[in-house]
Amino acid sequence: MAARRLGGSSWQQVVSLSRRCCLPGGRRERYRCSSSSTALGKTVDNSEVTQEEIVLPRRKTWGKLAVLQTLASTVNKDPTAAHYMFQDDPFLMPRNAANSRLFSLSKESGRNAAKYIIKQFPQYFDKTFAEPNIPCLMPETFTPQIEGVSEEALKERIHLRRVKDSVDLFDQLVQAGTTVSLETTNSLLDLLCFYGDGESTPEKEKEEEDLEEPGVNASEQKAPKRQFQRGSQSSGSRWRENNNAERIFKIMPERNAHSYCTMIRGMVKHGASAKAYDMYIDLLNERHKADVHTFNALITAVPYLKERFLERWELAKVFLNHMAQQEVQPNLLTFNALLKTLRRCGGVGRSMSLLAIKEMEALDIEPSLATYDHLLFIFYRGADLCPSGIISEVLDDVEKRSFTPQDPDDANFFGTAMQVCCDLKDIKLAYQLNKAMEKGDNWKFLDMDRLNAYWSKFFSLLCMMEQIDVVLKWYKEMSPSHFYPTPKNILDLLQALDAANHLEAIPSVWEDMKQLGFNRRQDLLQELLSLMSREQHPEEIQLAFAKCAEDIKAVYEQSVREQALLEWTGSALGHVALLFSRAGRTQDAWNMMERFQQINRIPTDQVMEEFLNCAKQTNCPDEAIKLVKLAAALGLPSSQRLKSRTEKEFELSEKQKKTLESIKSDSDSSDSDSDSDSDRE
Amino acid sequence: MPLSPQTRAARVRVGKGDKPVTYEKAHAPHYIAHRKGWLSLHTGNLDGEPGAAERAVEDAFLRRFLYGTFPGVLADEPVLKRRANLLVVCAVLARGLAPAKLYFLVGYAETLLARFYKCPVRLELQTLPAKVPYKYL
Repeated sequence: MAARRLGGSSWQQVVSLSRRCCLPGGRRERYRCSSSSTALGKTVDNSEVTQEEIVLPRRKTWGKLAVLQTLASTVNKDPTAAHYMFQDDPFLMPRNAANSRLFSLSKESGRNAAKYIIKQFPQYFDKTFAEPNIPCLMPETFTPQIEGVSEEALKERIHLRRVKDSVDLFDQLVQAGTTVSLETTNSLLDLLCFYGDGESTPEKEKEEEDLEEPGVNASEQKAPKRQFQRGSQSSGSRWRENNNAERIFKIMPERNAHSYCTMIRGMVKHGASAKAYDMYIDLLNERHKADVHTFNALITAVPYLKERFLERWELAKVFLNHMAQQEVQPNLLTFNALLKTLRRCGGVGRSMSLLAIKEMEALDIEPSLATYDHLLFIFYRGADLCPSGIISEVLDDVEKRSFTPQDPDDANFFGTAMQVCCDLKDIKLAYQLNKAMEKGDNWKFLDMDRLNAYWSKFFSLLCMMEQIDVVLKWYKEMSPSHFYPTPKNILDLLQALDAANHLEAIPSVWEDMKQLGFNRRQDLLQELLSLMSREQHPEEIQLAFAKCAEDIKAVYEQSVREQALLEWTGSALGHVALLFSRAGRTQDAWNMMERFQQINRIPTDQVMEEFLNCAKQTNCPDEAIKLVKLAAALGLPSSQRLKSRTEKEFELSEKQKKTLESIKSDSDSSDSDSDSDSDRE
Repeated sequence: MPLSPQTRAARVRVGKGDKPVTYEKAHAPHYIAHRKGWLSLHTGNLDGEPGAAERAVEDAFLRRFLYGTFPGVLADEPVLKRRANLLVVCAVLARGLAPAKLYFLVGYAETLLARFYKCPVRLELQTLPAKVPYKYL
């Protein structure tokens, strides 16, 4: 039946088609492979080959391990595929970093749209027919159940994170005269200090879902601590004067240590560091003890309290001494906060940070990636650098362990470390860092943006330091699966190709540039053209270069509607004309030459000479004469020389000789101006 | 046994010759398992297996949902495959919308259907330049 459909007569076609049709659910599978040619295309090729005679192929013998080897080759990462979250289709695959970001964000916003619909109409989604029930797929209830003015209702609203409702209810309770217990007031203060008196938005509620636990106090205790660290970078709200938290704090009949601690942490999070310090003094006056989280917050606030480096370190030491006096055990976050403060302490920081690390070891606290990140920053990214070998020690430590996230600053470690490797121009350290990243769970610290930046820096380092074949091998493997090259990466790659005298790879780099969307960048185009036109190359490379030049010419001439028209520069025009001339495309080269007048630039002598050579090879004396006319019209000093060359090297007819003569008088009359601006602007 | 000439189920009637028809639509239901595959694959119709009717209702809902969510770009009937708890929707789309918009719809459809049917739902797309006509009827 298939053979009838195609009208093919060869039995080989029938065999190959029926083999395809026998796949289960067959029809769909044939459409599925977008990368290989369609079934129709393949059979057409076959028919062309086997039209005359039937060639029986030789029987293939496979080695014993062939199947295992083939299976093993499918297990590794596919270097041509995009990230798993994208659909495997050429239209839907992102080609550059901007697209990949756009697609992943639009997918996420689609998810948010679905969640919004489910929140609006929970009645359609709440039938529990799954066995066992899956709570994460059920709609969440956000409306408070208990009505009326009572402490229970207040506790529930706090639990649901409704800031404004809780405050209103609290005020109502106080006015009605009922005393609210200390615990509940403290949890209300926790809520207010966490949100800084702004309303909790639905996005924030999503983040806390996994942290919610049955006990109200227990959850408040744990939740603000972890979110405080995250929130301190992202909180946009500032601590207003006499906001709800302060007001409630003042009217509280009795306060315990927890109240003070919450207020301090809230003030530090939202930027009121001086107030936090005053509150801490109050706490000491009341002879309360602060907890470890409060001390962490205070240490983080030190750079905002003092200006000079030494003063900052002294204040931090004061806090640490108080910690020791109040017998509060420091934890990992204490030391990370200390190192973060030392980042802003310049030279003092360098000496003191090592002491901090020794303390950590003495207390048996394992450092996290954030610790190492702060260390690297202190030693390598400060203003005045002195060489130190700390990075190798850090890398030796990091590559032994697989880390778990313990501090939000952990995510910055790999980026900082790669930056340091690039600054030190040490490729071996970079390889070691890569190995550390691949160990265990460490790769999870790099999200899409950080991953791109990391690999981008690594690739720049490779281009600088390694041989060209290693560079090309990495390039083939890494893009587009690991990262999308930035314009700087492409420039580095071109320079590496230049250094290794491997310029014939340039047309393929141009193809990649088009795919990445960099084909309208002036700097890249200039670099590409100058590299291609610098020297003479063998024949087929020259033809490939000319094709590239034609593409680039199309880029310059096309005006896409959103983007402005790219302006021709003199050098670009000259290079394109040169490339056309070397490939023997006289007509195209002449088109280029004509444009010089339009943009008010003058071609270099080299360009003119090459054009004349090309005209001689392709035997077009007319073009040569047109060139001489152009040179005379522009008033170039070389026009005489070109004229004499034309007379000598070309076989001219009588008419042509006469036209050539007539040009002579034009050039004599006009004074060749020596200050004609060359095309190198 | 030969079919009655009055059967009208799932057949596109022959017209002037200007109506493009896909392979799926061009073949009548008696060609299933001969020239066509199935559009919905599940174990409900095997001997002793429950849930055939529920799967049929789910299929009907899913096809309407997809027809509405991807307006105008659905090039052919989507194929629904059920593997254990997972529901895989394989759809062939035309390139009528920008890829970012398609990803938005994919995220939306996956999340909504997963919450609705309480099972993981995966959407696997393939794009074509246009609908592929098999015949003109």
